[in-house]
Amino acid sequence: MKNIALHADHTPASNRFGLKISISGLLLLILACLAILSIWWGADPHAQALSNTLHAPSIAHWLGTDHLGRDQLARLGQALRISLGLALASSALAVVLGAGLGLLAAWRSGWVERACSLAADAVCAIPALLWVLLIAALAPGEKWALYSGLVLTAWVEFYRYVRPVARGALLGEPVQASRLLGFGPRYVLRWHVLPPLIGSLLKLWSYALANAVLALAALGFVGIGIRPPTAELGLMMTEALPYYEEAPWLLGAPVVALLIAVMALQAVAQRWADGESQ
Amino acid sequence: MSAPDLLLEVQDLSVRTSQGAVLLQGAALQLARGQRLTIVGESGAGKSILAQALMGTLPEGLTASGSVRIAGRATNGQLSLTQPLWGHTLAMLPQEPWSALSPLMRVGTQVAESAHYAARLPWLRAREAALSRMGQLGVAHAAQQWLHQISGGMAQRVGIAASGLGGAALLLADEPTKGLDDASRSQVATLLAQMQSADQSLLTITHDLDLAAQLGGQLLVMQGGQVVESGLAEDVLRAPKHAYTQALMAAQPKNWQPLVSPLTHSSQPVIAGSGLRKAYGERVLFDALDIELARGEIVAISGPSGCGKTTLGNILLGISKADTGTITRSGAASHTFQKLYQDPPAAFAPQRKLGAALQDAVALHKVDAARIEPLLNELRLHTGLLDRLPSQVSGGELQRIALLRLLLLSPAFIFADEPTSRLDVITQHDTMKLLTRSAQQHDCAILLVSHDAHLAQASSHRHLSMGFAMQADTIQA
Repeated sequence: MKNIALHADHTPASNRFGLKISISGLLLLILACLAILSIWWGADPHAQALSNTLHAPSIAHWLGTDHLGRDQLARLGQALRISLGLALASSALAVVLGAGLGLLAAWRSGWVERACSLAADAVCAIPALLWVLLIAALAPGEKWALYSGLVLTAWVEFYRYVRPVARGALLGEPVQASRLLGFGPRYVLRWHVLPPLIGSLLKLWSYALANAVLALAALGFVGIGIRPPTAELGLMMTEALPYYEEAPWLLGAPVVALLIAVMALQAVAQRWADGESQ
Repeated sequence: MSAPDLLLEVQDLSVRTSQGAVLLQGAALQLARGQRLTIVGESGAGKSILAQALMGTLPEGLTASGSVRIAGRATNGQLSLTQPLWGHTLAMLPQEPWSALSPLMRVGTQVAESAHYAARLPWLRAREAALSRMGQLGVAHAAQQWLHQISGGMAQRVGIAASGLGGAALLLADEPTKGLDDASRSQVATLLAQMQSADQSLLTITHDLDLAAQLGGQLLVMQGGQVVESGLAEDVLRAPKHAYTQALMAAQPKNWQPLVSPLTHSSQPVIAGSGLRKAYGERVLFDALDIELARGEIVAISGPSGCGKTTLGNILLGISKADTGTITRSGAASHTFQKLYQDPPAAFAPQRKLGAALQDAVALHKVDAARIEPLLNELRLHTGLLDRLPSQVSGGELQRIALLRLLLLSPAFIFADEPTSRLDVITQHDTMKLLTRSAQQHDCAILLVSHDAHLAQASSHRHLSMGFAMQADTIQA
């Protein structure tokens, strides 16, 4: 009876969120297309044309040109490609690493768990951005350094979520029943431990994705991330700042792209969270 | 009965979902000042919906029609009309007092608060009233204590004291004995009776006919959202007229016919434990305990909650370790020693369809899948259930599917831990009949744990009762 009532209660809400996901999903899709299509289509993001600097948006240059006459749309495409690509790759590895260690710690307990938890606490002892800065400083401008720094700080969240949930599932009666019936660890993992985790992991993953995009932009903005002439969202903002008076659209493009990416990712995560609580 | 005496008057009360399904149909009842009314029925009978309609707390999406008058005021199941009456006119007993009381305030103060805020006594008089009421219920010494310092039973009395002191004319108790054993149940019945002062009326909702008999007063039997029988409790329970009431009476464990036939073959132990001892810290659950089950034998253990019944079974299965003692099993494979859980969903992975879960077990132990079909018939399950998830079938069906999965493995021994205590009484009777019949057909030994001595007696060859800090010699066959 309660189920009927709850269902009736939530129908309009789920419609509203259904609409929201389609908007945020569409925005993400547009950004991804821009990032990927600009590899083949459009101008070279590094080609300078010093006779044609700070050009306003036009048919030839949809988003105008920057202070070195480079096509802003092509640069935005490259920046998105690097930001989204690095963020996707680092957060994917962080999910695998954090969830894997969390499962291992829940399964084995004892010194394995203590070692993992100690590592997680050690990472948390220093602010995340500072970690990325430290590692990026080892190899300035190298993508792998940024990548490792992002993974190092992002896995902790997944570890801390997975370990207690998996532990709870492993200690529960359904797992006890499966073990009595003779099922091994693979079955227990597939049917008892992973199902309650997957939804929340996806949600956390899209938050982590948004965080990684923001962190990359922040690093680029303070000049520690990707090096020029490669385009990067934060770097493009820094480069556009001195010309804010003459060419505000130069600053606008990376800021709007960053806002859309982060907000759309958060909205997707929120949708997953709401879907779960229903 | 003249109208001013009527405290609660319900006429033609119906509750519908927004989709139009009828959950409660045309309920009518009257309760005079100082009287008692008990409503019995199984889950899904609409008892709780009726209680929620009276309290004005129907879940969103449900609408009430008809009339409800409490102390002369029409509330009609509306929250806005009912809420002003909460506390001083209408009070509900907490179902789980442990979670209804605050851990941040001494318990005596919490009881006094209801006298101060609901009955509007000055603070000092409220404290006196709280102390004297707690004294009547035998918990006066707890007044200065905190929630974590008192036991569950004491918390229940404190909860009862607090809800009674508001001076509400109508007290509602929804399933006050859920999950309690026999002894605690009659205690609660006595407490409910004590709490009710001369001008208070008590409306109790329960599935427990024994509680209804102990409380007396008027009795209403509900089935499928309708009242099927009503009258004085003693009359209805002595000579039930409606077929459903008769079925309900017959399904009470104390009215059961014996479900087992005597063992025929020579006893050959399947599993035996000797010299078992288990203690949690200072508390010794059992010491030097010997237990042995023969092939096909059903042994029941009953005793108060917390005395170590489940622990004993888990030790036999190797889920927990005994402090001392040895377990000897007959040569059968380890997967033939199984457990039937109290909570039916506990045996299944929630996201795996039941049929697939059965096939998993079939594939793992290379059992003949063709055996599922006859077992389904034997346990009176239809094949359509196998396409569903564990959450989509009823508790009774799920428990039988759990039993089916165990029977597929040709078990030598099943530890059945309160297998029917979460089921309705009629379903409980059916399930126990099937469990004992299957065990005898498949020659499987069962260690049956139950808090209900009648049930244990009727469905076992041997009946052991367990008490606290049990020694070997207090076990009797």
